[in-house]
Amino acid sequence: MDHFPTNWGRPRNDAFDPYATYPLHQRATAKDTFAEGVQHTQQPIVTGTSVIGIMFKDGVMLAADNLASYGSLARFKDIQRLHPVGSSTVLGASGDMSDFQALQAILDDLTTDEFTYQDGHDLGPAEVHEYLSRVMYARRSKMDPLWNSLLVGGFRDGKRFLGYVDLLGTTYSAPSIATGYGAYIAIPLLRAAVDGKEDTLTEDAARALLHECMRVLFYRDARSLDKYQLATVTADGVRISDQIPIETEWRFAEGIRGYGAQTQ
Amino acid sequence: MNSFLTRYSSTTPEADIRKAKELYGEDDDVSEMIWGSAGGFGNLAKGVPTFKVPAVPDPTSFLRMHTDDHADPSCRIKIKHGTTTLAFRYQGGVIVAVDSRATAGSYVASGTVKKVIEINPYLLGTMAGGAADCQYWETYLGMQCRLHELRNRERISVAAASKYLSNLVYSYKGMGLSMGTMICGWDKTGPAIFYVDSDGTRLRGDLFSVGSGSTFAYGVLDQGYRWDLTDEEAQELGRRSIYAAGHRDAFSGNTVNLYHVKQDGWQFIGNYDISELHYNGPGNVPGAPGGGYGYDVRVAGRSSANAPEDQ
Amino acid sequence: MPDGSFAHSQQRSFNPYTDNGGTILAIAGADFTVIAGDTRQSEGYSIQTRYAPKVFRLTDRAVLAVNGFAADGNMFVKKVKQRLEWYRHAHAKDMPLRAIARLIQTMLYAQRFFPYYVYNILGGIEEDGTGAVYSFDPVGSYEREACRAAGAAQSLVQPFLDNQIYFKNQTAAPGQSHPTHLPLPDVLAIVIDSFTSATERHIEVGDGLEIYVVVAKGRSPQGLDTMRGVQEMSARPDGDRMFVIRRDLKKD
Repeated sequence: MDHFPTNWGRPRNDAFDPYATYPLHQRATAKDTFAEGVQHTQQPIVTGTSVIGIMFKDGVMLAADNLASYGSLARFKDIQRLHPVGSSTVLGASGDMSDFQALQAILDDLTTDEFTYQDGHDLGPAEVHEYLSRVMYARRSKMDPLWNSLLVGGFRDGKRFLGYVDLLGTTYSAPSIATGYGAYIAIPLLRAAVDGKEDTLTEDAARALLHECMRVLFYRDARSLDKYQLATVTADGVRISDQIPIETEWRFAEGIRGYGAQTQ
Repeated sequence: MNSFLTRYSSTTPEADIRKAKELYGEDDDVSEMIWGSAGGFGNLAKGVPTFKVPAVPDPTSFLRMHTDDHADPSCRIKIKHGTTTLAFRYQGGVIVAVDSRATAGSYVASGTVKKVIEINPYLLGTMAGGAADCQYWETYLGMQCRLHELRNRERISVAAASKYLSNLVYSYKGMGLSMGTMICGWDKTGPAIFYVDSDGTRLRGDLFSVGSGSTFAYGVLDQGYRWDLTDEEAQELGRRSIYAAGHRDAFSGNTVNLYHVKQDGWQFIGNYDISELHYNGPGNVPGAPGGGYGYDVRVAGRSSANAPEDQ
Repeated sequence: MPDGSFAHSQQRSFNPYTDNGGTILAIAGADFTVIAGDTRQSEGYSIQTRYAPKVFRLTDRAVLAVNGFAADGNMFVKKVKQRLEWYRHAHAKDMPLRAIARLIQTMLYAQRFFPYYVYNILGGIEEDGTGAVYSFDPVGSYEREACRAAGAAQSLVQPFLDNQIYFKNQTAAPGQSHPTHLPLPDVLAIVIDSFTSATERHIEVGDGLEIYVVVAKGRSPQGLDTMRGVQEMSARPDGDRMFVIRRDLKKD
C-alpha cells in the first residue's frame, strides 16, 4: 500500500506519471482513442452575452441585447433573448442559444401541461426558477450541461422575484443581478442605484438605469450590440418591448491611443 | 392498463413521472438501493450498495482530477486522511493503538478522530487512508458480521470477517478507495490480526503498523516486541510506539487511543495526549516507567556543550 | 460501468464544480447548540448575492449548515429534508440527531465517486438532552465534536475556537480548571467575534450572519429570548426551543 497520506483516497494511474511530479491540471490525460468517437465534446457555439435584471417599485425589469455571436462573428443581430413563461414570469438567457431554445421548448411544454390540468394553479416566477434549477443541476450532474446563465424575473401575488441559475445549477436571488460581463460592468452601477431602494425606484427610473447599463456594456463588451429589448413584469403581467436602439458617442475616442485611428 | 401501452403513452401519470425523471429527476436511485424502502424500514441486507459514477469516459481520472493531491493543492475536495495505526498479537490478546490526527492537505482537519472502529464487541478495525472509506465499509462490515451471527448461530471468525472486507474492496480496485486496515479480534482460534488494504492485499500476522508514521512505530515496536509480554508491558509498548510516530511524523499526532482485545471482547484502555506523553508521560498507568517519553529526560544536564567527563 | 450506464456521455473540459465561499461554524454547549453561517455567496471575486442562507432547520432539534459548492449544498439539503419527511411519515416522529448524522454519512458516501463538494456541520440536541455537533468531510466521514468551523475561513476560525472552547494553549489559574462547557452568552459572543474577525481577514466572508440556537427542552434560553434581533421558531413552547439571530456583517 502507498503509505503517503496525500495520495490516499484518489484513484491511482500507475501507467501515467507514476511519480506524480506534475500538478494535475497541467497533466495531459491518458488518451483513449475509442472514447473520442463516443463523446461529442460540448462547448457554447452561438452565444448571447449579458442579461441584466433589477427589481423596482412595481415589479422587475430585465434587459438583453439582440445579438447572437458565433465566436467573434456578430452572426445573428435580430435574436430575442427574453422569453415569457406563463403570465407572470420572464426568462432571460445568456450563453449557448441552442440550449436556450431547448429550454424554451421544455418550458412551453410545461406551461401547456399546467394549462391543460385546469386545476386553478399556474406557475409563478419562483416555481419556474426552481424548475430550471433542477433541470440545470440534473444536466450538470450528467456531465452534459445546458451552457447558459439564466435570469428569471417575475411578479406574482404582490411579490417581486429575481433569480439566477447557471450551467452548474448554482442559484441565487438578489435585487439586482447580471450575467456574463454584466456581472463586472453593470453590477456596480445597478447595486448603487437599486439595492435598498427597490421599494422606491420607479419604472421610468428603472428603464433609464437599464438603458444606461446597456450603453456602458455596449461600449466595452465586444460581443454586445447597440440594440436590446426590455422585459417588464408587474401586476399587469409581462411586457416585452420592441427593440430599443442605443445611441452612442465615439468622438471622445479620437484622441485616445488604442481607440481611434492611430496617428503615431 | 396494458404495460406496453403505459410505457410508450405520453398522457398517463407514468409518462409524466418518466418525463420529469428524465429532465430533472433523481440522478440515480442510489438511496432506495441502500435503504430498501422509501419509509426507511430499510432492508439493510440487500447486497452491496451501488454508487453514482460521473458520466465521463474515464471516471477514475475525473476523481483523480478533483480530489486532493500533494502535487496540486488547488484541488478543492479535500478528503480527510487518517495516519498512524498499529496492532500486535501476544499471549494476552491483541493490542491496538492509533493516533488521532486527520489531515486534509497540510491542514490538520481534526485532532480527535476515532481511528479504531468498533465493528462489534469482539472485532476492531483500524483506520488509515480515506477516513470515510474506512468508517463506511467497516460499519458495513459490522452489519454483515451481525447477519452472519443470525444465520449461523455463532460469531464470525476474524479470518472470515477480514476476507469479507478484502473481497469487497477488491471489487472496487482502481476506483480510488483507500484503506489500510487491521481487522483485530478474538475468535475460536484465539487472538487474530488481519491486514487488509484497498489494493486487495490480505495478510494474517502477529504485528502490523500502517500509515505514514508506520516506520517510526515499527522501530519502537520491533525492538520491544515479545510473545510473552505481560498485559502492562504490551499496553505500554503500543502507547510508546504511537508516541514515537506522533513525535516524528508530521501527518500523525495529537493523541493516542489504546485498545486491548481479550477473550471476552475488546476493552478501551485510554486516550493519551502525545505532547503530554513527551513531557510528563502517561501518568500513573501500569507498565509505564514514569516520567516523559522525550529523550530530554535522559539527557538532562548533558549535551555536547556540557559533555560528561569520561577520561 | 459494466451496465453501460455512462457509455453514452461526453465532455472533456467541463468542470462540474465551483467554490461559492463563505464559512460555517457550530458549537455545542451542555444543553444547547449554536450553528451559524455567513450569508454571502460568491464566485471568484464577484459577490453573487448578499443573502443566500447556508444554515437550515431540519427538525425541531436539528440544524444543518452546508458550505462549499452552493448548488450541491442546496440539492443535498433538499434531499436530506425529503428523507427526514419520509421518516416522519413512516415512524410518526422526528429522526433523532445521531441517526440524522448516520443518514448524512450514507448519503454523502453514495456519491463517493462523484462527490458532493460540500462540507456539512450538523448541530442540535441529542435524545439525552445534550448539545451536539457532528462534522463531515465531503465523502461522509464524520465525528461528534464540541465545536467545528468549516469553509473558506476555517483556518482562521478553528484555531480561535481551539483556544476559546477547548482552552488550547491556555493554563488554568492555580487550583482551578477550565470549564467543560461554556454558558450560552459566552458562546454567542465567541461566534459573533469569529465572524466579524473572519470578515475582516477573508474576502469571501461577510454581508450577513445567521445564528441558529437550539435549547434543550425545559432548559433556560439564558436571556436569549430577549436579545436584540432574535426570532423564535420553536414548534412548541414546551419542547426544544429554536431561535435565529440575524446580524449584519461588513459588506466590503
